[in-house]
Amino acid sequence: MAEAIGLNAEQHARLRLRRRRWKEFGRHVVLGLVAFILVAPFYYVLLASLKDSTEIFSYPPKLLPIPPYFGNYRDLLWDTGFLRWMFNTLFVATSVTVLKVFLDSMAGYALAKIDFTGKRIVFLLMLILLMVPIGALIVPLWSLVSSFGLINTYLALILPPLANPLGAILMRQFILGLPRDLENAARLDGLSEFAIYWRIVLPLIKPGLVVLAVIIFTDQFMSFTWPLIATTSDELQVLTVGIAALRAHGGANYGLWSASAVMSLVPIGIFFFVLQRQFLARSLAGALKQ
Amino acid sequence: MGLAAATRPGGLRLSAEEHRRLRRKARLRRELTGWAFLAPMFACFVIFLVLPVMGTVWWSLRSGGLGGETKFVGLKNFIDLPDTVGAAAAITNTLVFALISVPSILIGALAIALLLARIERGGSIYRFLIYFPVLVPGVVAALIWLFMTNVDFGLFNQAVKALGGKPIIWLGADHALTVLAILDVWRNVGYWALFFVAAIIGLPKELYQAAELDGASAWSRLRYLTLPLLRRIIFFAVVVATIWGLQVFDTALVLTSGGPGTATTTVIYRVWLYMFGATNKIGTASAISLVLIIAILLLTLVQMRLLRGRGGGD
Amino acid sequence: MTRPDAYSGPAIELIEVAKHYGKTTVLDGVNLTVAPGEFIALLGPSGCGKSTLLKLIAGLDELTSGEIHIAGRLANYLKPAQRDVAMVFQNYALYPHMTVAENLGFPLKMSGIDRDIVRGKVETAANLLQLGAQLDRFPDELSGGQRQRVALGRAIVREPYVFLMDEPLSNLDALLRVEMRAELVRLHKRVGRTTIYVTHDQVEAMTMANRIVLMKSGVIQQVGTPAELYATPANVFVATFVGSPPMNLFTGRIENGVFRGPIEAAVPSGLKPGLVTLGIRPEHVEIRNGGLPAVIDVVERVGPDSFLRARTAEGAALTVRVDGATRAKEGDRIDVRFPLEHLRLFDDAGNRIATVEES
Repeated sequence: MAEAIGLNAEQHARLRLRRRRWKEFGRHVVLGLVAFILVAPFYYVLLASLKDSTEIFSYPPKLLPIPPYFGNYRDLLWDTGFLRWMFNTLFVATSVTVLKVFLDSMAGYALAKIDFTGKRIVFLLMLILLMVPIGALIVPLWSLVSSFGLINTYLALILPPLANPLGAILMRQFILGLPRDLENAARLDGLSEFAIYWRIVLPLIKPGLVVLAVIIFTDQFMSFTWPLIATTSDELQVLTVGIAALRAHGGANYGLWSASAVMSLVPIGIFFFVLQRQFLARSLAGALKQ
Repeated sequence: MGLAAATRPGGLRLSAEEHRRLRRKARLRRELTGWAFLAPMFACFVIFLVLPVMGTVWWSLRSGGLGGETKFVGLKNFIDLPDTVGAAAAITNTLVFALISVPSILIGALAIALLLARIERGGSIYRFLIYFPVLVPGVVAALIWLFMTNVDFGLFNQAVKALGGKPIIWLGADHALTVLAILDVWRNVGYWALFFVAAIIGLPKELYQAAELDGASAWSRLRYLTLPLLRRIIFFAVVVATIWGLQVFDTALVLTSGGPGTATTTVIYRVWLYMFGATNKIGTASAISLVLIIAILLLTLVQMRLLRGRGGGD
Repeated sequence: MTRPDAYSGPAIELIEVAKHYGKTTVLDGVNLTVAPGEFIALLGPSGCGKSTLLKLIAGLDELTSGEIHIAGRLANYLKPAQRDVAMVFQNYALYPHMTVAENLGFPLKMSGIDRDIVRGKVETAANLLQLGAQLDRFPDELSGGQRQRVALGRAIVREPYVFLMDEPLSNLDALLRVEMRAELVRLHKRVGRTTIYVTHDQVEAMTMANRIVLMKSGVIQQVGTPAELYATPANVFVATFVGSPPMNLFTGRIENGVFRGPIEAAVPSGLKPGLVTLGIRPEHVEIRNGGLPAVIDVVERVGPDSFLRARTAEGAALTVRVDGATRAKEGDRIDVRFPLEHLRLFDDAGNRIATVEES
C-alpha cells in the first residue's frame, strides 16, 4: 500500500513514527491539562493557606507565597480542636481497620472454606445489602445507638462501620483462591480450624489484607455523615465534621479553612505516597500462586 | 499378607442409630465452627445494617418525632410525599444531581482512560495526579471549591474577569446544583479513570492490531471495538457511580448549606434536617430514606442480574 | 490416636462405604480389608472414585454411609489428625511461607513434641530423602522432584500407622517418575508401613503394589495381586485396563462347544451355549501353520518386542506379540492359534467364566 501512495518503505516508516510522536504529544497535552485542572485547586488552596486575610482578597493574586504567612496554621492548630479531630479520626480509622481486617477475614474464611447451613443465604444477603450506605440508615441507626446509650462515644463511631459486608466478600474471594489441599494438609497435621486460619490462611493472603486495610482506612478517614450525628461534643469530633463546623461557625475565614484543608491532606498524602507502589501498581500476585 | 477376604468382612459394626447420633455430633461441631468464625462480623452486619434497614421500613410507616411518641399511619408518608415540599425537592435535587454528575464523570473518565492507557511515558505521574482529588474528604473538597467559587476573589471569577467577562454567582439558585455536580466530577473522575484504564489494558491487543490492519480509524476502533468490549464494565460503573451519586451530602452541606433555599438539599441532607430540625417529621424522613434504599437495592439487583446473565462471574 | 500395641487385625477395613453427592453416586458399597504393611494400589480411570475413597479414609470428607476402621477402631467420626494417617497430595500442598525444614517439622510441632526431637526427626527424614541441602529453602525455590520429596518427608516424619498417597508422581516428568517409583518401593520395604496409593497409571500399580484394587464408577472391579489381575481378570474391564497392549477380545457365541464369532476357536469343554466374550493376551497368541489365517496391517516395534496388528479374513482385528527382531512386515500372511489354557472367557455381563483348564 505504501507503494501505491508513492512512498518507499523507509519514508513510510518515518511517517508512521512522526505520526506516533504527534499522537503522544497530543496525549500529553490533554492529560497534562486534565491533571492541571484536577490538581491546580490544591496549589491555590496551599497558597491561600499561607496568605493573610488581606493578601487572599488581593487581585491580581500572588502566585508564590513569599513571604509565607503561618498565622493561619497557628490559628488552626492552637485555637481550634484540629489536632484533637485529627487524633480522633486516626484513632477511629485505625481501630476500625484493625478490627475489620480480622473480623472480615474470619468471616471470609468461614464463607470460603467451611460448610455450614445458611452459608448461601448469608452470602446472598451480604451481596444484596452491599451497596446500602450508612447514610441511608441514619434514622434507625441513631435511634439504635442512642438506645444503647452510646451516642457520643468512640464505640458509636467504631461499631457501625464494621457492618459493611464488602470486606467479608473480598476476603472470601481471596481465600477461595487458596488451594484446597493446603488446608487439608493442615488438617491432617492436626491444626484446629482457627490454627489453619491463623497460621496458614492469613499469612498467605497478606496482599489481600493490605488491600482491605487501605480501603477501610481511606473510607473511614473520609466518612462524614455518620460521625456527624453520632458525636455531639467537640472532643469526639472527627476531622471531616470538625472542618465542616469551621465552615458553619467562623464567618468566611478563608485562610483558616485553607490551612485546615491542607493539613487534612497530610496523613492521607503520606499514607498513599508510602503505599503508592503496592497500590497503583498491579502485582498483588505473589503468595497467591497456586 | 494372609488376610484373604477382600469383600464383606462382616456387616456394619455399629447400629444405624449410633451412626446417626455420632454423625449429628460431628456435623454440629462443624456448624458451630463455621458460625464461630462468621458470628462477630455477621452480628455487626445484622445489628448495624439489616436491623436498621428494617427499622427504616418500620419508621416510614409512622409519624412523629425522634425520641418522642410515634404513631402508626400506614403509607400516609409515602402518599403525601409529592406534597411534602422539602422531601419532594430533596428527591428531585438528588436525581438531577445524579443525572448531571454521573454521565459527566464516566464520559470524562473514559476519555482520560483511553489516553492514559496508550501513553508511553509518564503514565504513573498522571495517574497519581489525576487520582489525587479522590483522596480528599468531601468537606475539604467543598471548602476548596467554596474558595474557588467565591464571587469576589475566587479562582473561577478571576479567570472570568481575566477573559473580560462579568463575575458569575456560581452558587446562586440557578447554578448551585450544577456546580455541586461539577465538584463531584472533579472529585471522582480520577477514580473511574483508573478503573477504566485497568479494564482497557485488559482488552486483547490482537483485536486492535487486526483492526489497524483492516484500516480502521481511531474513532471507529473506539466505536466498534473498545466500547462494545467494555460494555459490561461501563454498565457496572454506571450503576455503582449512580449509587454513590445518590448519597451526596457532605459536599452539599459545606458548599452551599443545602441552598440557596433548598436548591441543593439532597435526600440524606433532608433526612438529617428532619431528624434534628423538625419535631415530627421522622416518618417522612424514614420514607425518603426508604426510597433511597429501594433505589439502591433495585440498582444492585439489576446489576446482579445482568452480570450473571452474560456468562456469569465477575 | 494411641495405637493399640497388641492389635494384630487388619490395618484398614472398609465396610459398605458409600458416598453420594446429592443424586450422584461417587462410591457404591465399597468393601475392602487391608493387612498391616501392605502396599495397596487404588487403580482406575478418572472419575472412578479412588481419590474420593482416599479422602474418606483420611477424614477429609464425610461418608454417606458405611464404616471405616483403622487399626481396629471406628474412624468415621474421628478428625483427620486423630486417625494416625499421613497423606501425600498430588499437588504436594507444601506451606509456601515455610522453609523445607519448617514444612517437615510442622506436624510434629503441632503435636507438641519437643523441639530438639523434632529437629532430629526432620534431619533423619531429610537424609532419607536426600533433602539435606534444601532444608532452609522455600518451596518455590525447589524443583518438582524436590517438592515431591518434601511432601513425602512431611508424611514420613509423622511415623503414621498408614500412608495415603494421591497420585504423588503424576506431576513429575517421565524419567523422574520412574526414578521416584523405585524410590517409593524401596522406602516401603524399609519403613514397612501400610500404604494406600492412588493412581490411574496401571504400570505404576503393577510395579509397586502388593495388591491392586481396580475401580470403575465407584465400584470395585477386582482386588488381587498384580499377577492375579493380569492372569485372571474378573471381568472385561479389568482385562482391558490391565496390560498394554490390551487383551484381544472377541464377542460371539458358544455353539456346539466351539466359539463362533469374528473368529472361530476351540474352547474348553463344559461351557454352556450362549453369548460370550473371548479374550487372549497378545503374548499368548501363537503363530503356527494351520491356524486361523490373518494379514498383518501394522508392525509396531517397541524395542525388545514387536506387536503385529493383524486382521482375519472376516475382518476381526487382533494383536500378536513377537520378538523385537522379527522380520515380519505389513501385508505378510500369518496363521494364528489360541491355546486353550490362555483363553479367558466372559459371560454376556462381562464377568469371567471359570474354566477347568486354567493353570
